[in-house]
Amino acid sequence: MRTFLLSLALLICAAAAAQVPSVTVENAKGETVNTKSLLKEGTPMIVSFWSTSCKPCIRELDAIYDALPDWLDEVEFRVVAVSTDDSRLLAKAKSFAEGRGWGEEYTLLFDKNQDFMRAMNVSVVPHVFVLDGTGKIVYSHTSYVPGNELELFEAIKKCSK
Amino acid sequence: MKKAILIISFAALSITASAQDKGYLTGSFETNDHIYVQDEKNRFTPDNDRFGSNNYLKLDYYNGNFSAGLQIEGYAPATIGYPDDLNKFALSNIYVNWKDEDFQITAGTFYDQFGSGLLFRSWEDRLLGLNNALMGARFAYNWEDKIAFKALWGMPRLGMDISDTQVRGADLSVSLSNIIGLDDILLSVEGSVLNRFEKISIDMEEAGGKPNSVGFSGRLNFDWNGLFLKGEYVDLGKKLVSFTQKRGNAQLLEVGYNGRGLGVTVTGRRLEWMGQKITARSLSTANLISYVPAMSTQYTYMLTTLHPYNPQLGDESSFSFNSGEVGGQIDAFYNFRRGTALGGKRGMKVHANFSTYYTIAEEGTAKAGNLLFRDFSFDVEKQWTKQFKMLLMYSMQEYNPTYGSFKTTWLSNIFVADLLYKWTPTFSTRLELQYLTTQEDKKDWMAALLEVNFAPHWSIFGSDMFNHGSTKMHYYNVGVSYTKGRTRIAAGYGRYKDGFICSGGVCRQIPQYTGANFSITTSF
Repeated sequence: MRTFLLSLALLICAAAAAQVPSVTVENAKGETVNTKSLLKEGTPMIVSFWSTSCKPCIRELDAIYDALPDWLDEVEFRVVAVSTDDSRLLAKAKSFAEGRGWGEEYTLLFDKNQDFMRAMNVSVVPHVFVLDGTGKIVYSHTSYVPGNELELFEAIKKCSK
Repeated sequence: MKKAILIISFAALSITASAQDKGYLTGSFETNDHIYVQDEKNRFTPDNDRFGSNNYLKLDYYNGNFSAGLQIEGYAPATIGYPDDLNKFALSNIYVNWKDEDFQITAGTFYDQFGSGLLFRSWEDRLLGLNNALMGARFAYNWEDKIAFKALWGMPRLGMDISDTQVRGADLSVSLSNIIGLDDILLSVEGSVLNRFEKISIDMEEAGGKPNSVGFSGRLNFDWNGLFLKGEYVDLGKKLVSFTQKRGNAQLLEVGYNGRGLGVTVTGRRLEWMGQKITARSLSTANLISYVPAMSTQYTYMLTTLHPYNPQLGDESSFSFNSGEVGGQIDAFYNFRRGTALGGKRGMKVHANFSTYYTIAEEGTAKAGNLLFRDFSFDVEKQWTKQFKMLLMYSMQEYNPTYGSFKTTWLSNIFVADLLYKWTPTFSTRLELQYLTTQEDKKDWMAALLEVNFAPHWSIFGSDMFNHGSTKMHYYNVGVSYTKGRTRIAAGYGRYKDGFICSGGVCRQIPQYTGANFSITTSF
């Protein structure tokens, strides 16, 4: 137990700002993608964890979708929508995203065994992160009510300053 | 053996931590607490505890390619309807992991799955009280996105303990399109093998049972310009069911098209003796090492979730004894774009789903070819103005109350309206109106929910589900939540109906209860 507590204490001392961990997920085509590759473009991004059975998640991604043209006029950033649906709903999640027009605007990722979700310590969806160009987490939020997307935009604007 | 793994994990965790390089720590905490209240109308009398509390603390440390973490769980005792074997406190998960672009090595507890999970899946679902993480080791290698290989060995967690059952498996995925160099096409072939070992009693052995079973699966994935096809064949090997040898097998086929605002998926699946448990000795709903979910719509509105479909895996359960099922579903989504005749100024989204499942053979309590479940649903979503958004849904659900023993089915028609109005950019209300009509079971239901949201922090709701057709019972529920950043605190009070809680197509049964609930979820 002492070793364990010592490890814990050391862990906490050693801690720095959280980033995107290296996890393997799928893209819309079904190819495997490492989450680290998201950082290659060096632009800030909104990473939103959603699932087909989560109504607030869908409302949030729709609200971002509607606001996107105006937001992009002001700042350059990307939106990454990570579906946490199990393999049962994987094909459906892809069709669902297509049927909402998200595929054209968002980078779609599919995390069918919730590895990325766990690595980012997301316990419930919706959960959204704002990352700066280096991949550092500068803002995050759980749950969604209409209007929460305004905070996201503020956070995105701050990182591009 | 388990102790050895724990010690190695601890040591590696300490070494990783002592490195004192940058690295970062992240974690999450979740508590769900219930206080139960006597409610004669709901036929509910709490036991002596009057209290249930499920708690999870998860910590992960990342340093370059290294990561290490743990999860502590505490049930004091578990909330009502949760698997019985979850009790007291335990260090339930601990792992060390090293991953670069090509290699990954994990020791300790980990989650993984082969293909769709029909052969093997270890995962966590707190809503179900399920965590069958493997305690052992895993090695994975990826060669230039052309060949991916993984091998794993471990003992699945069951309840608060690691079980004695051993699982060994390997999975190979070959991307033919990347090897040949085709840019527009994705074509891959995949295969897995899984060995499960559990010591069995002499009685079982004499009856023909074997401690070892070997299963395999073969898969094909194809995608060309949004047109896709996925096929999977699974053979679980032989197993003993009611003193006879049965061969577990399943076939899954998914075809569809995603593009130009249209998404269509057609799925067909046949299951035969596909129940695969960690141990033959436990009745827990978390006693699973594979993922055989219901392949039908997972509804979310109150009245649409009264009778969720429980797939017939081909096993003896408390509900039925059935060799399996065959069926399929079709899901179609379409986005009428802005500016089109039907789309109007803000677009319109439509979705339709149909699914149907049948028993496959006269076996146990089931007769061949009986309808198990059928549903059709249609919904349309439209943003009328900047303020007002509307969703209308119709769902027909038909299910077999005897799980295929008789032809009789019960049918209900459900109507839902979900109306969201944004009064100001941060103040909104959402109203749900629902009606269920049926000749069977408890006859007609109606339900309503009103949610008032004050962004960015507060949300309150009140709902009532009323069975006016037969029992005249009200299932009311009120609640409030406060969210700030990554922390959400919620409290509520309500009367809950017995039924099923489903997540990802897997369900657990819950009894009726009345009481207050409180929850905190946070991460850092």
